[in-house]
Amino acid sequence: MNTLVPAIGFGIVTASILAVAGVGFTLQFGVTNILNLAYGDTMTAAAFVAYLVTRAGISVWLALVAGAAFGAVFSVLLNRGIYTPFVRHGTRLFGMIIVTIAISLILQNGLLAGFGANFFSLTMARPSSVHIAGMVFTTVQLAIIAIAVVAMLLIHVLLRYTKLGKAMRATATDPELARNCGIATDRVIDLAWAISGALCGLAGVILVMNVTAFTDTTGSQFLIPIVAVAVLGGIGQPYGAMLGALVIGIASELAAAIISPDYKDVVAFVILVIVLLARPQGILSEIATRKEVAA
Amino acid sequence: MLIAVGACGASGGGGSAPATLVVGEFNPFTGPDAAFGPEMVGGCIPAVKLINASGGVLGHHMSCVQEDTRGDPADAVPAAQKMMATETSLAGVLGPSSDEALATVPLLNQGKVPMFVDTGQAAFDHTSDAYFWRITPADDVKGYALALWAHKAGYTRAAAVFGNDAGAQSDVPTLVSAFTRLGGTIVYNKPFALDQSSYRSEIESMLAAHPQVIFTEVDPQTGATLLSELQQLHGLIPVIGTEVTLQAPWLKAVNGAIGAGPMAKYFEGMQPYAPPQGAAWQAFNSSLLASGSQVPKPSQWSSDPYSMTYYDGVNVMALAMIAAKSTSPGTFNKYITKVTEPGPGKTVVNTFAAGKAALKAGKQIQYVGAGGPIVFNRWHNSTGAFEAAKYVQGNLTLVGSVSAAQIAALSR
Repeated sequence: MNTLVPAIGFGIVTASILAVAGVGFTLQFGVTNILNLAYGDTMTAAAFVAYLVTRAGISVWLALVAGAAFGAVFSVLLNRGIYTPFVRHGTRLFGMIIVTIAISLILQNGLLAGFGANFFSLTMARPSSVHIAGMVFTTVQLAIIAIAVVAMLLIHVLLRYTKLGKAMRATATDPELARNCGIATDRVIDLAWAISGALCGLAGVILVMNVTAFTDTTGSQFLIPIVAVAVLGGIGQPYGAMLGALVIGIASELAAAIISPDYKDVVAFVILVIVLLARPQGILSEIATRKEVAA
Repeated sequence: MLIAVGACGASGGGGSAPATLVVGEFNPFTGPDAAFGPEMVGGCIPAVKLINASGGVLGHHMSCVQEDTRGDPADAVPAAQKMMATETSLAGVLGPSSDEALATVPLLNQGKVPMFVDTGQAAFDHTSDAYFWRITPADDVKGYALALWAHKAGYTRAAAVFGNDAGAQSDVPTLVSAFTRLGGTIVYNKPFALDQSSYRSEIESMLAAHPQVIFTEVDPQTGATLLSELQQLHGLIPVIGTEVTLQAPWLKAVNGAIGAGPMAKYFEGMQPYAPPQGAAWQAFNSSLLASGSQVPKPSQWSSDPYSMTYYDGVNVMALAMIAAKSTSPGTFNKYITKVTEPGPGKTVVNTFAAGKAALKAGKQIQYVGAGGPIVFNRWHNSTGAFEAAKYVQGNLTLVGSVSAAQIAALSR
């Protein structure tokens, strides 16, 4: 019991990072059906942008904005400059996965060449500890939870109450029908990449705020749990990703506390397998099983 | 077939212009253990620089070539095969590390490639591989050193926080048995999944066991996350790490995460005892510091025992070639012990140049390098004492040592 309550609190922090990253990942996939495996490396690149910003003496909070902005712009350019031409040349789902792996390797090695095989930390004030209901958080972790909550609320408002959100959902469901109904799907796809990229950049920065030291592979190491969150929730389902993040975040922390740190990932994936056996489409999925790539 | 090509590559005969002999730096240069490779470069480059400046080996110059294993057997095996197939003048390799040794040592041995390994795996304590040479301590020896140092400091309750990788886990059995034999108790011992976004739950479980000290070997990112969270949540307790924790990336990452003051107060690391002094070290360090164009920030390796032993490994191979009058690995490999083992009437040399001159004069030599004397046992393992160091204001400061005799007594 002594370790259970704190573990749930710690799980909420992990879930917050996973939720921001997972929603961005699944939102873009839902609209375009491109499984972007360069997502983790884009997170790392955004973290390096934040690193450069904080090194210039600018606040870490502005570095968060810079990381998110970088993620948005980079993702749009990545789609326009690389992914879209491949799709237009007829590259199918599997081919696109290989393209995204290639981009992932290029990004990772580019960061390695640019920054070297070293470890980096964001320059920020040392956080203090806060005790809440038997759980211990640092001020940075509370900020991470708050950022995730705000980001999720904004995504909810966007998807439910704006024209863009409706257009994105329509494009995600059936891009051809959406186009025939007068939706500018190209613009919707651009905006989906931008929003997904912003969440990706944001996730990269809050991840390295939390782990305190990062390197050129930090984001890519986090990709597997992100994909797990997206798959668990139902790939293409932002609300599912939020739920998946909570399940995986808390389950992995409880596993570390109760069983062994070595089983942290294992338990999360056992849950994933069990859920998928019962609901192969994921917790909340209604779509995304029969679509082709859209760009 | 590929292996056979590689094995013949460095043979010394032939009438064409002498080929440059290649030393493969067979280690991770990318991936989680990317810090290993640059440390190796910090030893190889200074050695070949001095060897070439002294006229080379039997008319051949030498060079170091990076062979990235990515720290993964799946990448390392094809890398080894490619290296043996394409490096036609491969004289030997530095490495492999623990990440890829079990998969690649048999390949390299079959290919007759002399290897000065940096793996610490106990699986090689009694190896019969003729081309295997280890002048760094085995991991199980590290466990004894850590236990002895903690016992000396009066700790009786310890937590073992080691990564779930093979290299780190191979330290644990001897650490547990040695600490227990010394009257201590390992109150928490669980393998840690590396590079997680947090270790807060693990910290709570560990602290519930009330350890006085933490023994650790984890990668820099894990170390930084773990110790900064421990500091933020409950405050630090003393930490004793293996030599992995004394490498520049680990020190930089953790120092940045917890701050210089707490780092100096709570952290100590144990590494093979290789004091930065003496004629051999002076030669190594001068050459290292003059290698800035090939070794980034060379001074970071000046007191690194692993860089010193890589340097020694290259020198030993080069001197063995001269003693054997052949650059063929199949021939000079047998001469490695002849240039390292002590013996009556042998001339002790501290540099390649001195060794080359002595051999040319018909003398028998004992090379004592930057890392100290090298005395191989029948399984081609050579070990020694350990030193404990603190990280104070950006520099490693020696705070004590554990002798080879103490380790031997505990390991019986």
